Amino acid sequence: MTEQGSLRLRHVGKQYQVKGRIFDVLHDVTLDAEPGSFISLVGSSGCGKSTLLRLIVGLDPTYDGRILLDGEPIRGTSLRRGIVFQDHRLLPWLTLSENIGLSLANVDWPQQRKRDAVREHIELVGLTGFEQAYPYQLSGGMAQRAAIARGLVSEPEILLLDEPLGALDALTRIRLQDELLRIWQARRVTMILVTHDVEEAIYLGDRVLVMQPHPGRITREIVLALPRPRDRASQRFNEIRQQILRDMGAFGALAA
Amino acid sequence: MDGMTTLTVAAPPVDVQQLLTEKPRVPISVGVLLPLAILGLWELASHLRWVKPVFLPTPEKTVLAFFTMLTKQDFLLDFLASIEIVLQGFIYGAGLGILLGGAAGLSRTTQRILGPTLDSIRQIPAIAWLPLIVLWLGIGPLAKVVIITKVVFFPVFLNTLQGIRGVPKDYIDLAQVLTLRRWQFIRRIIIPAATPSILVGVRYGAGMAWAMVVVAEGLSGMQGIGYLVFRAQALLLTDQLLVCMVVIGLVGFIIDRGVLLPERYLLRWKQGFEGT
Repeated sequence: MTEQGSLRLRHVGKQYQVKGRIFDVLHDVTLDAEPGSFISLVGSSGCGKSTLLRLIVGLDPTYDGRILLDGEPIRGTSLRRGIVFQDHRLLPWLTLSENIGLSLANVDWPQQRKRDAVREHIELVGLTGFEQAYPYQLSGGMAQRAAIARGLVSEPEILLLDEPLGALDALTRIRLQDELLRIWQARRVTMILVTHDVEEAIYLGDRVLVMQPHPGRITREIVLALPRPRDRASQRFNEIRQQILRDMGAFGALAA
Repeated sequence: MDGMTTLTVAAPPVDVQQLLTEKPRVPISVGVLLPLAILGLWELASHLRWVKPVFLPTPEKTVLAFFTMLTKQDFLLDFLASIEIVLQGFIYGAGLGILLGGAAGLSRTTQRILGPTLDSIRQIPAIAWLPLIVLWLGIGPLAKVVIITKVVFFPVFLNTLQGIRGVPKDYIDLAQVLTLRRWQFIRRIIIPAATPSILVGVRYGAGMAWAMVVVAEGLSGMQGIGYLVFRAQALLLTDQLLVCMVVIGLVGFIIDRGVLLPERYLLRWKQGFEGT
């Protein structure tokens, strides 16, 4: 089986025009994601990291450069590219299994396989027993797990995570980071995580790409050879964190 | 006692679950207190002759009038005639409203075509339409059905349109990500998202329909509960007038509650503020 899920971005740029003025949201972004890798994109707000995910998932077709999945240019949205948004974005009128099943509306599988897939993914994210629950009955963490299941159920080659844990409390967040890691290792799907949480980026990623705004661009790549599970308290971990925060300009105010 | 003593004051245990679930237990039956008080006042006012009996008969006499109307007159027929008009007008109005509101909500072109015409028609009150429609269709039930249709149509149309246009952009992104086709998008996202708003229009329209049938029957025609109201006034049958008013009020109440039942089922996924 040839491994699928390799993503290549070549000189991707994105501009917005506001009242005749042109803003560079993304400038010359080039990156390669190998099949089954986990890439963290970290940056302060306004650096264009979410815009980049919108381009990759196919919600915005107007950009410069090229985006290739398995060597082919992407066109529109596709079930080969899943996404988990920061807000879980479950549909409130559908139960948990209906929400997850909606991902399979246009997948050409027999009904039985769809049902099995939904059940397996509910199990994968640890929500067995809540199949018939409506989103308002779920906690924030549970809803986000459900959103992850929805992103994965159609077996995409790549899963884009747009600050999926950003709205959760600290403890739930740490738990879900481990969950995410476990799911990624179980499924070996390429994952691209956008976050503003440096610790999260280091804890999860094979590589961390640091983005900076005006214009949004990748300013540093850090390959993380640390074994998993990573110790957030270790010296190496903290050195990397300091380095990334420096790159993001976090200490600029202090230095000045 | 020597040295320092430490005093630990334990906070009384708080049952969080109880705090969350407990609601002030006022029985639903308190709603009848006010009507009972009004009835009492009515008894007093009529028996003590605060108001002349011809203008305010006693409740007992009014109840008697109700039975007379039922047994010796055609009250039931009049009542059913009104109900039938309302039902027909409501179904046509709500149906058309959802259909055209849906079309206008989904397509800007349709909205631009329909918008100016409908917005103008809307400004002419149903009462002002009635004389012309009676000229065309006569004083029979059909003219009233048309008026009720108009009265129900607009709130349903406008709320359907607004409900569809109010679907969050985020859901549209989601539909695209899930590669939903247009019909799937309408069925799984647009319709459920717009349903709360549509139901507001339907409920409002239902209330308007019942009120309007009374007015329309009073202004034209020889049948229906609205006709009875105006006839009773002309003949100074105040007891019959009161019977009609109470029946109109009760039916309106039942209609309003009746519309709430399907609403509760359709919106079972929704949990809003239920009051304290």
